[in-house]
Amino acid sequence: MSEPVEVRGLAKTFYDENRGEIQAVKAVDFECREGEIFGLLGANGAGKTTTLRMLATILAPTAGSATILGHDVTAEPAAVRRKLGFFSASTALYPRLTARETIEFFARINQYPSDQVLKRVGYLVERFGLASYADARIEKLSTGMKQKVSIARTVAHDPPLLIFDEPTVGLDVLNALEMQEVIKEFRNQGKTIVFSTHIMSEAEKLCDRIAIIHGGRILACDTLEKLRQATGARYLEDIFVHYVKSL
Amino acid sequence: MTIRLSDVRILYLNELRSALRERSIVMNSIFLPIFLYPVLLWLVYTGMSFVAGQTEGFASRVALLAFSNEQRVFKIDLERDPRLEVKTSNDPLADIRNGDLDLMVEILPPAGEAARLTGNFRVRLTYDNSKDRSRMARDRIAERLRLYRDRYLEQEAGKLGLTPAQLQQFWVETNNIATERQMGQFILGLMIPIFLIIMVAVGSMHPAIDCTAGEREKSTWETLMTVATSRVNIVAAKYLYVSTMAAVAGILNLAAMMFSMKSVLAPLLGERISTFSFGIPLRSIPLIIAVTVLLAFFISAGMMILASFARTYKEGQATVMPFYFAIMMPVMFLQVPGLEFTPALAAIPVVNICMVFREAVAGVYHWPMIAITLAVETGCIFFSLWLAATILKYEDFILGSYGGSFGKFFKERLLPGRGKRGGRA
Repeated sequence: MSEPVEVRGLAKTFYDENRGEIQAVKAVDFECREGEIFGLLGANGAGKTTTLRMLATILAPTAGSATILGHDVTAEPAAVRRKLGFFSASTALYPRLTARETIEFFARINQYPSDQVLKRVGYLVERFGLASYADARIEKLSTGMKQKVSIARTVAHDPPLLIFDEPTVGLDVLNALEMQEVIKEFRNQGKTIVFSTHIMSEAEKLCDRIAIIHGGRILACDTLEKLRQATGARYLEDIFVHYVKSL
Repeated sequence: MTIRLSDVRILYLNELRSALRERSIVMNSIFLPIFLYPVLLWLVYTGMSFVAGQTEGFASRVALLAFSNEQRVFKIDLERDPRLEVKTSNDPLADIRNGDLDLMVEILPPAGEAARLTGNFRVRLTYDNSKDRSRMARDRIAERLRLYRDRYLEQEAGKLGLTPAQLQQFWVETNNIATERQMGQFILGLMIPIFLIIMVAVGSMHPAIDCTAGEREKSTWETLMTVATSRVNIVAAKYLYVSTMAAVAGILNLAAMMFSMKSVLAPLLGERISTFSFGIPLRSIPLIIAVTVLLAFFISAGMMILASFARTYKEGQATVMPFYFAIMMPVMFLQVPGLEFTPALAAIPVVNICMVFREAVAGVYHWPMIAITLAVETGCIFFSLWLAATILKYEDFILGSYGGSFGKFFKERLLPGRGKRGGRA
C-alpha cells in the first residue's frame, strides 16, 4: 500500500535575472507514513518551503514526482488540495472577514459537504476557543487569536494531510507551545502531518521522523533514535551539524 | 480546465462581502458615482457662472482718439454706455499692453472711394486678443458700432423716402424644432458618456487592485492558491467581482446624473433649464445597461491584468494609471462637433460605446454600428481573458515576480525566443 505522501526525485529550479538558474530543490526523495509527524529540518534557504509549496501544488516541480494520498501534484492539483490543509507564515487571513466567515469560506471552497459546513464551523469555533470573537473581523483580533483562526481555516475541510511550514515563526513562547500542542492533537486524530522548521527543539519534540535538508538535498531521513545511532550524537543540533559538515 | 460555477459563486460572494466592508471601495464604487460628480459638476458650473457674472460686471476701459464733431453722436453713445468707461491716456498702446486700458477707439480719415463722400470715416479698434477683458471690450464696441451704423442707414434711407422694410432685402427667422426633451437628451448624450467612462474606471480600479496586488500585500494570495479549486475559477470570480463593482458604479452614476442634471446645469443655463427634460427613452435602457456592462467588463479586464503584477496596493495604483489615462483619451474625440457614428468609430473600443450611448440617449439606434460595437468589445474582452489565462500559467507571476511590471513580463515571457524562467504553474 502506498504512503500518504510519496516524493521521488522532486526538483525545482528558479531563474533569476542576475544569478541565472538556481536549483532550490535537487531531486529529493522521502515518504510520510499515515498518522505521523514528518519533519523537514533545515536552515533558512535549505529548500523546505519550496518542497512544501510543490506538495501543496503552489509551485510546479521542474523534475520528479510527488503524490498526495494517491493524487499526483502535477496532474491532479485540485484533488490534492482537497486532501490537504496548508499552513505557513505567508498564508494570511482576509482581514475584513470575521473568524466564522473565514472558516465557513474555506470549508465550502475546499468541498466540505455543504450540509455539514455550519456544524463544522461551530465545532472549530468551540475547539479553538473563538466563540467570543467569532463574529469580530480578523483585523481586530490579536496575533494569538489570528493564529487560532488560521489553524481553524487550515483544517476547515477536515483534510487527512496537513502541511505546516514553519508554523511557529514570529510567535511568542506561549503561542508557539500552543501550536505544538495543536499539531500533536491532529496527529492523535490520525492525520498525517508534514512539518518544516529550523528550530531543533521543536523538531525533536514533535517529529516521529525527521528529514535533514540542506542546499536543496535531503542528507538524512529517519527517526531521531536512528539518527542518534547513525551519528553517535545525542542532540539533534549536533546530528544536524554532523550531516551538514559531512557534505 | 473547466469552470466550476459553484466554486466561482463562493469565491465571488467572498470577494463581494470583503469589498463591501472596505471604505475606499464603497466610497469609489458607490458613493462617488451617486454624489461626487453631480455635486462636483454643480460646483464647477456655479463657479463658472459666478466668474462669468464677475466678468460681465466689469466696465470696459476705452480710450477715444481723434473724434471730431462729426462723430459727436457716436462719442455720446459710447460715453453713455454703462458697460464702458471712457478714459484718457497719454500712451494708449502701452496702457493696453500693461492691462490698464482694454481698448482704443481711433477715428481715421476714410480711404479709397469712401474718401470722396462727406461724413465718412474709418474706425480702428486696438486691443489685446490675449486678454479676456480686452476681447470683451472689442465685442462691446463692435456692437455699439453696428447699432450706430444701423441708425445712420435708417436715417439716410428715411431722407430718400425709404422705410426700414424697404431697406432690407430679406429677414431671417430661425425655427428650432427640437423639443425640450430632445434638448435635454442632447445635453445628456454629450455629458454622460464621459462621466460613465470615468465612473466605470474609478469603480473598477480599487476592486481590481484590492483583489490582486492587495491580496499579495496582505499575504492572502498564497492562502487562496491552496484552496481546492482551479485557478481559472479564482480568476473568473475575481473578474466577475471587479466587473460588478465597475458596472454598479457606472449605472449608479448614470441614474444620479439623470436625476440631478437639471439642478447641476441650472447655474449654467439659468431660466432656460426649466424648459428642458432630461429623460432617457425607456426602450434605450436595456441597450444602455448592456453597453455599460460591456464597458465594465472591458475596463475591469485591463485593470486586473495590470494590477495583478503589482506587489503592493500603491504599486498597483501606479501600474493601472497609464491604462486609466489611455481609456480617457478617446473621450476627447467625443467633443468634436458633428461626429457621425461610422464603422471606423465603431471599431475603436471605448469610443464606440460612448457613441452607442450618446445615440441611445437620444433614442437613435444605428443597428449595424451597434452590432460592430458589441462584436469589437466582446472581442476585446475575450482577448483580455486569453491574456489573463496565459499570464496565470506562469508560476513566477503567481509568486509576484517581474517587479510589478507587465512590460517586463511581456518582454521576458511573451516575446518570441524568450521564456527562460521557471516552469508553468
